[in-house]
Amino acid sequence: MGIHPFIRTSLLTLTWIPVLYEFHDHAYQPCEIRGASMAPTLNPATDSMKKDIVLVQKFNVRKPGYLKRGDVVMLRSPSDPEKLLAKRVIGVQGDTIIPRDPKYPKEKALIPRNHLWVEGDNQFHSIDSNNFGPVSQGLVVGKVTNVIWPILRFGSDVLKGGRMLSAFLPISSES
Amino acid sequence: MHRYLKLASGLFSWTLRIVCAGHLGAQYLCEFTETRGESMLPTLQARHDFVYANRTHRLGRGLDMGDIVVAVKPSDPDHNVCKRISGMPGDVILVDPSSSSTVSNSVSTCERNDGFNKFVVVPEGHVWVTGDNLSHSLDSRSYMWLPMGLIKGKVSAAASLDQGLFDKDGKFWFFNLRWLKRNFEDEP
Repeated sequence: MGIHPFIRTSLLTLTWIPVLYEFHDHAYQPCEIRGASMAPTLNPATDSMKKDIVLVQKFNVRKPGYLKRGDVVMLRSPSDPEKLLAKRVIGVQGDTIIPRDPKYPKEKALIPRNHLWVEGDNQFHSIDSNNFGPVSQGLVVGKVTNVIWPILRFGSDVLKGGRMLSAFLPISSES
Repeated sequence: MHRYLKLASGLFSWTLRIVCAGHLGAQYLCEFTETRGESMLPTLQARHDFVYANRTHRLGRGLDMGDIVVAVKPSDPDHNVCKRISGMPGDVILVDPSSSSTVSNSVSTCERNDGFNKFVVVPEGHVWVTGDNLSHSLDSRSYMWLPMGLIKGKVSAAASLDQGLFDKDGKFWFFNLRWLKRNFEDEP
């Protein structure tokens, strides 16, 4: 072939870029967390220069019923579609949630079909469902499975943390 | 034997790369899909209509009043809806005056629904969408505003694949291919 081997190799490398991109979109993607809304689970350091990198699972996450209470998810912000948020799922469809923020317009929030109630673990520094209400599961981009950086906290349990049981109404008190 | 193995692996890797590139193009540039349902009559047929969705407008980028969009259904992420934008962030919307129309409702229902007095303001990052066929459309009037993050693309053309290449008078119209334009005009 008449092409210079260097050009040939670089062109062949370029053809793998779509495959990598698809892997990022539909399998797993590392993602850097900015902001303190999920402290102390993610970004526990008060020093804002230190940022966690997490592994985000991209497949299955929009399947109805796949996400459980306590999962940490990445979702598109309802108020700014270009922004990604990392929050914890507090309530799934059919749950009745007592909002953490007393300024929320209702005393109890019933989560509609295929919607989620999401909250940051850091009560005082988080814009979440207490501000914008339940979010559609279609806005979820991925599920955080692991902390991969800093190396000392590799594999620390992201499922622990957040308020859980106190958020629910006992079913008997519904009627 | 070794030669065939090499040929097979090369074939597989090229197939993988081409399929990925094609799928990437369908997700981020343009997509050609079928739409079903009566909600967009008479703009789109209830069946056999294929639309060309411009995916560069995903996440509500560069959209305005009167654009037709494809979006994920908020109450069911497995399904897509095709609606027209009839309210942008900050607009004041009268939700559904037809719920208090005396043509289809009894007087008591009209009073209870109070359709002429229910207004909402579309919040930031959301749009109000309605189908063109208002009497047979599940849209913002039932699930309220739609987050722009659910928008997958803007519909810019449609073709009816059951129509054939020529119309009744024998004129060439290529499956009734038509461009769908923004139909909103601001009152002077």
